[in-house]
Amino acid sequence: MQQRLLWTIIIVFLASLCFVLGGYWADIYRKMLLVITLCVGFNFLFGVAGQIAFSHIAFYGIGAYSVVIFSSILGWPLPLAIFGAIALCGVIAIIVAFPASRLEGFYLALATLAFAQLFNVVIVQGGDVTGGPQGLSGFGQQDYFGFSFTDQSYTLVIVVLFLGTLLIITRLENSWFGRACRAVHDSPEAAEAMGVDVLFIKVAAFTITSVLAGVAGVAYAFIDNYVNPLVFSLEPMFQLLFMIVLGGIGRTSGAIIGAIVIFLAPEIFEEWVGRHYILGVGVLVVLSILLLPKGVVELFDRLFKTDKLMRKGQK
Amino acid sequence: MNNTLKFSRNLILAMGLLLAAGTAQAADPIKIGVITDRVGNSAAWAKPIEQGMEMAVNEINAAGGVLGRQLKLRYESDQSKPDVSATKARKLIGENVAAILSITTSPATQQAQTVTAKAKIVHMTPANSADYLTKKLDNPYFFQMGPLGSTQIRTLLAYNKKKNFKRVALVKDNSNLGSYLGKVFKTNLEKSGAKVVVEQTVEIGATDAIAQLQKVRAAKPDAIYHSGIVVSSMAVFFKAYHQLGLKQPILGSFNLSVPKYLEVIPGMMDGVVFIDAMDPSKPEAAKFMAKYKKAYGSVPFSLPAYGYDGVKVLADAIKKAGSTDSDKIRAAMATTKDWVGVLGAKGQVVDFSKSRAGFSVDGAVVRRIENNTHGSIVHSGTK
Amino acid sequence: MEDFLELIVSVGEAGSIYALVALAYLLVLRPSGIINFAVGEWAMMGGFAAVSLITWLKLPYIIGLPLSIMCIGAIAWVTGLVVVNPLIKRNASPMSKVLVLLGMLIVYRETSASLYGYDPLFVPMPFGFGRVEVGPFAGSSQSFFIISVVAVVFLLAWYFFERTIWGKAFEGVAINRQAAMLMGINLKIVGMSSFISAGMIAGLAGVLQAPLTSAHFLMGLPLAIKGFTALVIGGVGRVEGALLGGFLLALLEKLTIRYIDIPSGYALGVPLLLMIVFLLFRPNGIFQNKEAK
Repeated sequence: MQQRLLWTIIIVFLASLCFVLGGYWADIYRKMLLVITLCVGFNFLFGVAGQIAFSHIAFYGIGAYSVVIFSSILGWPLPLAIFGAIALCGVIAIIVAFPASRLEGFYLALATLAFAQLFNVVIVQGGDVTGGPQGLSGFGQQDYFGFSFTDQSYTLVIVVLFLGTLLIITRLENSWFGRACRAVHDSPEAAEAMGVDVLFIKVAAFTITSVLAGVAGVAYAFIDNYVNPLVFSLEPMFQLLFMIVLGGIGRTSGAIIGAIVIFLAPEIFEEWVGRHYILGVGVLVVLSILLLPKGVVELFDRLFKTDKLMRKGQK
Repeated sequence: MNNTLKFSRNLILAMGLLLAAGTAQAADPIKIGVITDRVGNSAAWAKPIEQGMEMAVNEINAAGGVLGRQLKLRYESDQSKPDVSATKARKLIGENVAAILSITTSPATQQAQTVTAKAKIVHMTPANSADYLTKKLDNPYFFQMGPLGSTQIRTLLAYNKKKNFKRVALVKDNSNLGSYLGKVFKTNLEKSGAKVVVEQTVEIGATDAIAQLQKVRAAKPDAIYHSGIVVSSMAVFFKAYHQLGLKQPILGSFNLSVPKYLEVIPGMMDGVVFIDAMDPSKPEAAKFMAKYKKAYGSVPFSLPAYGYDGVKVLADAIKKAGSTDSDKIRAAMATTKDWVGVLGAKGQVVDFSKSRAGFSVDGAVVRRIENNTHGSIVHSGTK
Repeated sequence: MEDFLELIVSVGEAGSIYALVALAYLLVLRPSGIINFAVGEWAMMGGFAAVSLITWLKLPYIIGLPLSIMCIGAIAWVTGLVVVNPLIKRNASPMSKVLVLLGMLIVYRETSASLYGYDPLFVPMPFGFGRVEVGPFAGSSQSFFIISVVAVVFLLAWYFFERTIWGKAFEGVAINRQAAMLMGINLKIVGMSSFISAGMIAGLAGVLQAPLTSAHFLMGLPLAIKGFTALVIGGVGRVEGALLGGFLLALLEKLTIRYIDIPSGYALGVPLLLMIVFLLFRPNGIFQNKEAK
């Protein structure tokens, strides 16, 4: 009961921020929520399921680009374009997941790294379809029955997306699926021996998280109505990695904390230390691994009992 | 205290406050937002532009400022990331800047433009060259001062008209600007009747470009057009060019107007021609170069001049508008024509009345690299 | 045909640099199981060390090169001591060691940028720039210099691992830490020397590359990715694998660019595609691992 109350408060708070924040802070809020959404999904794939997959950012990009291509170039109505984008992510994810399941550790890392780079090459070479290096712009949100999103209502859309992703991930984490993922992560052979369908678990974990990344991508496309290959390159991917490392791998609350800290770092520290804030982030990551092996979230655990927060039905 | 005294005291107090308020108002600086890059890929390029901007601001303020108020630059760093650029634009708008200048990359400027278009605030890029910035979004508040990619290649083509290069090679790198300019070059080359017989990309991080230049050599082009920007790729390109004994003339974009390359590959670029927006023999340019040398100790190349002209054009527009109201500044900018700055060929002007890309189509010059420095002007304009 | 022979020299030069980076990965990976993605930044710092010593202080290469790589070796040693050792001591997961080095990647890069600025810096070539012909092969003097230096390095590395007792000790630690320790091998010394040598090798890659491309704070990441690719292709078990992987990767890249007729932008994608295929069908690399895994 107490948990339900806490969650209701959190949801109401997040939603009400949409109507309180304006302009700059609303933009920070939206982009930060999207990054946290990506981080939570990536954390499940990396930390829980144990798949070092750098393809996450590519699916973010596939979602963003395909919804724009479907709606403004092919002229599909927006709901169909969104559905199409998500479906496309799902199809590509499954196609990639099967061969990916045969790879472990840094082989998987390398293969998914190559995949992410390939995606970038395709986007940049895509000519008029993908806009090439200049990206796609000049499309607007279509009026749907005369209703189009204002700045504030779109923020609400992103809050809903974030909460939805969070719900899915925490439910999965605490279910048999999560336990199976962890078992496969720890030892595929042992898991197999216990009757777990290792292939299914791997493919499902990869596909689900990649599709969630794609959905976030769909939302991103309409934040500024501009998509450009630079946003979906390797650098933001490594940033996601740093976020979960800092926050605490394998813990959803860790992913959230890490994402917030690293995302807000430039905003907060640039005033004082100028460009050296990046050095600060690096030092922070190193220190957190050395001193707080379970991630910054360990600190929060002691203070706020965040580990209980994400677990349903625990006293 | 008797009543008259009290009244007088209050009156004097009130007048004093009013005076103070009035003076404070007058002393209130006009803030110009600048989206720059302090840490990322464009950091090396943005810094000289900032210096030029500072020079212009100091000059303007020393002469009394604009509308009696001092100009102040308010910097935000976007790390050359398009989504961060849009966020910083919102931040600057929230601080009620009179206008925003973008001095990082074209994609970053574009994403920031999606924000400034909605907010209806004057937004200008002094140096970006992408054609799409004024074509893709119908945003009357956006102005561009950099020489467009299309202008650059047309100027190079005009320079070559007599030489009549029919078969050409196009070399670029896989940076965002390098690829984009490559596309623009190719389209215009083919429009002009030349055939791009071979196109090669030198990857960022490549340790040599032998394979690419062997392919170029095998295609036997009459000339090589180069649209790249990344220093390491440029360095290996020139080394391979010389090693393979290639002799074709090389024509570069405005990226080569930055002398960095000459420091890293000394002596290898002699004879190369490139696009520049600055003609040192133009009186305004000569004056600027002298002033810059006095302030910073070295002879400036084009980048500081972009910053300088950018601030000056904006300041003039605000003066003309008579206020810091966005619509008035926009109207003043849109009617700016016959504006002569440091940049631009002799006799050319900045004109926003016909197009929001104000750099004259005939405003670029072609310069040759001689004795490892930027040498003489060999051609001007597109005729 | 002439083209092909000159291309082979280019393959040799690029492959040598990739192979050095792959070797740097290997030297840390084998004894401790740590993938050190910061090797790219070590190479970058090697390039900057060359700027300080050879460009600015104008030391001759014969002094400047060894000094530069020793600097990086020292940095690597300090890193191992301060950042990695504590993790080894408390038995932290292999992943955490990889990640702490990723954090160091940022530290190295930003510190270098603060010290040397954001502009690319010039490093002179030891033998100047010129086209040299060696038998039927032709290339730049720097290419031949790189190939010779790297050949010597790999010869030494091979000799070390195959013929010396220390090399056997390294292998022993790689195969089974506990057993090695029980047999009296000093794990600490092996660990430290692996870091120092990896630093020196990576630094060498930077000093060799910087005259070609300039020394720049962003030059580390492409090297790290290429070196990692070379390592996986060649097989993570053996020194020869690093060398072969480097050459194969370079060969793949250059042959694609030179002989395959697709838009040049896509040529960048071909090695990526082939690598994915390779990983799916031959994930252990060209050479099988020494141990029966």
